[in-house]
Amino acid sequence: MDYKNIQTICPYCGCGCALNLEVIDGEIVGVLPANDHPVSQGSLCIKGWNAHAFVGHEDRLKKPLIRKNGQLEEVSWNEALKLVAKNLGSIQKKHGADSIGVLTSAKCTNEENYLLQKFARAVIGTNNVDHCARL
Amino acid sequence: MELIQIQEDFEPKVVAFLCNWCSYAGADNAGISRLQSPANILPIRVMCSGRVSPEMIFRAFRSGADGVMVLGCHIGDCHYINANHRTVKRMPLLKNLLGYVGINPERFTLDWVSSAEAPKFARVTKSFVNTVRELGPIAAEMSVEPIFVTDELVNLAAEELVGV
Amino acid sequence: MITEIRDKVAEQLEKLDGIVALRSTEDGAAPYLFQQGDNLEELVMNPRYPLSKTASKLQKRFKDAKLGVVARGCDVRALVEMAKRNQIDPDRLVVIGVTCTSEEAEFCFCAEPAPNLDQWSGSTLIGEPVPGAPPNPIVAEYAQIPYAERWAFWKAQFTKCHKCFGCRDICPVCFCEACALEDPLWVEPGLLAPDFPMYHLIKAQHMTTRCVGCRQCEMACPADIPLTVLYDLVRQDVAELIGYVPGADINEMPPFTLTLADAAIESDLVY
Repeated sequence: MDYKNIQTICPYCGCGCALNLEVIDGEIVGVLPANDHPVSQGSLCIKGWNAHAFVGHEDRLKKPLIRKNGQLEEVSWNEALKLVAKNLGSIQKKHGADSIGVLTSAKCTNEENYLLQKFARAVIGTNNVDHCARL
Repeated sequence: MELIQIQEDFEPKVVAFLCNWCSYAGADNAGISRLQSPANILPIRVMCSGRVSPEMIFRAFRSGADGVMVLGCHIGDCHYINANHRTVKRMPLLKNLLGYVGINPERFTLDWVSSAEAPKFARVTKSFVNTVRELGPIAAEMSVEPIFVTDELVNLAAEELVGV
Repeated sequence: MITEIRDKVAEQLEKLDGIVALRSTEDGAAPYLFQQGDNLEELVMNPRYPLSKTASKLQKRFKDAKLGVVARGCDVRALVEMAKRNQIDPDRLVVIGVTCTSEEAEFCFCAEPAPNLDQWSGSTLIGEPVPGAPPNPIVAEYAQIPYAERWAFWKAQFTKCHKCFGCRDICPVCFCEACALEDPLWVEPGLLAPDFPMYHLIKAQHMTTRCVGCRQCEMACPADIPLTVLYDLVRQDVAELIGYVPGADINEMPPFTLTLADAAIESDLVY
């Protein structure tokens, strides 16, 4: 029997609201606002209020999948990355670097987003970089 | 001048929730007896006035009804013995709530009409439609400009919230 | 007072499986289930969280556990309403009631800052009860405001709502599994600042016989909508028309479940 709240930052947008994840026996069951946090001051939007829902969701993607013969099959990260690299390379050769765009995410950290834009500019060679928080 | 013209032409839309066991039959009876009742009434047959949830009434207003009536069986005559006891408790609260958000509570009425009371059906519908006609279209009432932060009322509300 | 609460919690923990209270960590304070062996120096009273809701959640999860809860006046009122609606089992709950200060009562416009523990066996009250604070001045003056102005006022307020559902999620007496506010039939999804405030009207109507005036909804609202003005008004009506005060008596059933024979009302429509 164990119940605690673990404070974390909302994974959705760049605002950085704090939220408390309610944990019962190691399972995340709900969200409470963080009333004394200086950023959100106890406020949350609908995404923050439901930030616990995706963690244990059955539809959540946990392993890379590749469609083989019309069926999605679980594959290793190596195989998945190889396929992506091969296809991106062939598209770049055939249609030019600007035929590729990169979408980054507010759910990633700053550093991950930096890496992705570096990848787009230095490796692929395009300025087509966009971000979901830039709506 | 133009506004007055509109008011004179105005025919209100009134949604009436009628209980299957009494007021709906009462409305039928009024028709059979050739009693005039206004054509502004849009009847919705429900199995009991206790079945009319507040959500339904709000939705009627959202859909553009100028007035809403709930007509049920007299207390003690309910087909489901005591379901309209809930109605008589719930509806006055709802009527006041409408007033609190600024919808004139006169636009809502609750009354009892049994299946034998065709003249009463004609009377209450006629008088309610007349009341709503005098109040004018609900759209005009709702299209007022919102009072934002500058108003002292909202400042009062803000004062109440600050000071955590 | 806080040491008194900690001592009481330590004493009760010997008899109970756990006590729901606020725990302060370096991140901030949040609800926590204190058990034997936990550091009670971390137990705090502020900021406010709906601990009654947490207690209900834990009771449903741990069906045999005997729990305690450190509760303010509003929490105890919420527990009463929840017990009536089978959301909490009063026999498996011990309440450690804590009175609010008069400043806290004034901030909440709370008429009953001291928890009423008459109906909670094995419960204790900590702190000196303070008198109730005067009601919200807006509520008192509301009758003088014309309808058009009321609509304009609420229109401005409800326009700010971005449907976070926070007021529902934080509310200790909102627990339905099928919520009318999530039903596209009543509240249109994907529409912000709708012309007609279905969400808030339905919420207010559902609050009539439940709202215990804990103000959690208002504190959780990111748009600072003065929701409790509306809920206070409907609460007044319930007291006047039906004579029912939410959270007052654990044996008094919710009025909409009763017939007129069990709970008569005065109305022109009853004859």
